[in-house]
Amino acid sequence: MAPVTLHHVKKNYGDVAVIHGVDIDIADGEFVVLVGPSGCGKSTLLRMIAGLETISDGEVSIGARVVNDLDPKDRDIAMVFQNYALYPHMTVATNMGFSLEHRGASKAEIAERVKWAADILGLVPLLDRYPRQLSGGQRQRVAMGRAIVRNPQVFLFDEPLSNLDAKLRVVMRGEIKSLHQRLGVTTVYVTHDQVEAMTMADKIVVMNGGKVEQIGKPLDLYDRPANQFVAGFIGSPAMNFVGGKITPNGFEAAGTTLPLPAGVTGGNAVYGIRPEHFELATDGLPATVLLVEPMGSETQVTMTLSEHKVIGVFRERVQAQSGSTITVRPNLAHVHLFDAATGSRIN
Amino acid sequence: MQIALYGLMCVLLIPFVFPTWWMLTSSVKPISDIFAFPPDLWPRRFDWTTYAKVFELQPFGQQYWNSAYIAAIVTAGTMIFSSMAGYAFARIKFPGSNFLFTVVLLGLLIPSEVTIVPLFQMFLGWGMINTHWPLILVPIFGAPSVFATFVMRQFFIALPGELEEAARVDGLGRFKIFWIIALPLAKPALGAVAIFTFLHSWNLYLEPIVFISSRNMFTLPQALTQFTDAYGGAMWNIQMAAATMTALPVLAVFIIAQKQFVEGLAHTGLKG
Amino acid sequence: MTTATTPRKRPFWTIERRDAIAGYTFVAPQLIGTVVFVLIPLGLVFWYSLHEWNVLANSFNFVGDANYQLLLRDPQLPRVLTASAIFSAGLAVLNMSLALLLAVLLDQKLRGIVVFRTLFFSPVVVSLVAWTIVWSFLLQNNGGINGFLQMIGIQGPNWLREPGTAMVSVIVVQVFKNVGLNMILFLAALQGVPKELYEAARVDGASAWKQFRRITVPMISPTILLTSIITIVGSLQVFAQIAVLTQGGPGVSTTVLVYYLYQQAFQFHYFGYGSTLSILLFLIVAVLTFVQWQLRKRIVFYEN
Repeated sequence: MAPVTLHHVKKNYGDVAVIHGVDIDIADGEFVVLVGPSGCGKSTLLRMIAGLETISDGEVSIGARVVNDLDPKDRDIAMVFQNYALYPHMTVATNMGFSLEHRGASKAEIAERVKWAADILGLVPLLDRYPRQLSGGQRQRVAMGRAIVRNPQVFLFDEPLSNLDAKLRVVMRGEIKSLHQRLGVTTVYVTHDQVEAMTMADKIVVMNGGKVEQIGKPLDLYDRPANQFVAGFIGSPAMNFVGGKITPNGFEAAGTTLPLPAGVTGGNAVYGIRPEHFELATDGLPATVLLVEPMGSETQVTMTLSEHKVIGVFRERVQAQSGSTITVRPNLAHVHLFDAATGSRIN
Repeated sequence: MQIALYGLMCVLLIPFVFPTWWMLTSSVKPISDIFAFPPDLWPRRFDWTTYAKVFELQPFGQQYWNSAYIAAIVTAGTMIFSSMAGYAFARIKFPGSNFLFTVVLLGLLIPSEVTIVPLFQMFLGWGMINTHWPLILVPIFGAPSVFATFVMRQFFIALPGELEEAARVDGLGRFKIFWIIALPLAKPALGAVAIFTFLHSWNLYLEPIVFISSRNMFTLPQALTQFTDAYGGAMWNIQMAAATMTALPVLAVFIIAQKQFVEGLAHTGLKG
Repeated sequence: MTTATTPRKRPFWTIERRDAIAGYTFVAPQLIGTVVFVLIPLGLVFWYSLHEWNVLANSFNFVGDANYQLLLRDPQLPRVLTASAIFSAGLAVLNMSLALLLAVLLDQKLRGIVVFRTLFFSPVVVSLVAWTIVWSFLLQNNGGINGFLQMIGIQGPNWLREPGTAMVSVIVVQVFKNVGLNMILFLAALQGVPKELYEAARVDGASAWKQFRRITVPMISPTILLTSIITIVGSLQVFAQIAVLTQGGPGVSTTVLVYYLYQQAFQFHYFGYGSTLSILLFLIVAVLTFVQWQLRKRIVFYEN
């Protein structure tokens, strides 16, 4: 186990820069999730840590060593790939013992480690099968088994759950998390799914366009996103944004004025409010209902405040027809304000 | 309807199957019965001495060995070199790889029939006339092997990159990735290359008659045409015995492994 | 001495450099072999074609384009090219139509179809010269085929010795030898046609023949196109069959270009003129292969 440090890391393909100088500190034993839309550079960054992509500038360190010029095999990492990358012509046991075999471990040692990993992951009955004889979830487990067998300093996961169906994804999410709690190995996990990021991470790194937008604990990112991008990316359904202007009377948007928390000043801005932070209130703003989607535990209502389309999620069972009017009020403790030009947080 | 289809196919089969049957039966007919009228579908008398005479008239055992070992070396060599080159062109990034691939592909345009004159001069200069070197070197590096390289490259291009990356993380270098991961997965393509290379070498005719002049060095196709009497007339029954011995082993292997044969070749043809 | 402030020195053997070395090492045998045994000989063949070179007379003189002038004036050459064209065209037409017919038959769901497939394919794996010799035996004037014909009262021709039948015989022998290959390619193509298309056509009420014309043929036409060019290029290299069956005769009626080249170079020892003929053969093969690549590119494009 070791900390991982990225210092001003850059990646260029020819003249095209895809990673623009990234700094991340990952503590020993920490579970860090790199999340962002596709093409944001998160996978490239992970592959640079793994040694599968060269590092154009900056330094990657694992433990005390700068690993820029080390081969993947010398970095003491293990990786779980999106399509699992199990060797089709080898049994589960051979797949899992493969890296030990090529590091000169003895037969007995390999057998013992494979047995240990198979026990943890419930793979013992599958050891003699070939990958093609396994289900998606089983393959996923074998890929994890292959990673933990060697007891590496760092685990790297590249969108490992994206090929599983929704139900299995939730199960495996839990398994990966409990595996991490059991082994305590530093983990870097890449996903485009913010739910995975929120539920699994000790620390989330939100990336966009080859840059880090924000690093922080899941709930910190949720409660205090540093900018409009993070605010919109984290949380589902996504945060509502209304463009307008901060005035002493409130937030003036086209056709309506939204209430502001005390003490906020500024000019042109974006007003952000999460769906669950609308409350039904008789003295609230009138909203025209477009769509009511009852979920049972809550009700999701798509509505317009003047010309601004927003979504509200209410614990109450809203009985409203499409086209009717309800009155809602933003919870002022949870209003986010972003600079209209830069997108940075103001309040 | 079904009966009609079976009937049609049986009629169509005649020119495919009958020559082999005629070869087998004629090989055990005494010379006097060879042109008997009406023709015998089953020999009226058996003369098994034809098979012994094959070996008396020609060093047929030696010639058999020549063809077999040349085909084995050519097949093995082509499999090794074409899979290595195909792998590198498909999966390794190195400066000039596209240019070098184009250079190799040019070989497809140039069958050895085109270059037979200079090849003869080159091997003459190297003192390799009437040796087996030309029959080994020209196919291993000529147009058929270029085709094999192309087939292998097409196969390796389709190999998932993650497998190689996993292998790198697991501690394998380039050569081991090729040998332990890529090559075992390429078995279907390699099988097709092997079949098609073996048949090419086994059937080679122009090169032997250009390069080989002594009976001990002959290959089978060359030897088969040599069973003639003092007046140059063909000794048909002995020739048929020699042809049978040439054709039958490959035919037997094919019938045992026909599924792999046919699918392998279909694979090559479609990908190549 | 290194200090904390000096920039890290990159090791010389970076991953890229090692990969490049591996790449060159892997392609080296094939590349060098192809250069030595294919490309250099091609250069030499061109160089030789500019010389008057008789091995028996031991003469080797630069004559510029004289051999090419000779090529244009060679009274045999038009006949040789005609024979080549007839051979290649006849072979291609017969081979493709028979292969397609057999593939369609083999595509039927019948018991024991694999046995038929195996038998139709079997000549492909029979030694080429053995196959040709057997046919030569069968096609003798008093051989098996004429024997069977006589039984039903037909006096067959001397197949290999008459100008009218020699070419037909050579073509037919070669077709039966190799049609199995194209048959298998067509069969694979037929089986690659999505079944839904036929089901949709049946729902629309199309007859079996209409389904074949409007669905099967268009869907497998890329395969037909490519295999026909491969077959034609292959037919240009046919040598053993001619040498064994007819030795180019009677007259020059079955003397195809490769056989003529062989005669000029290795029987009459005109290496210079033989090389000129090689250049001609190369140009024909190169043009056809180029056409094939262009078609393939387009077809692959369509398929994707």
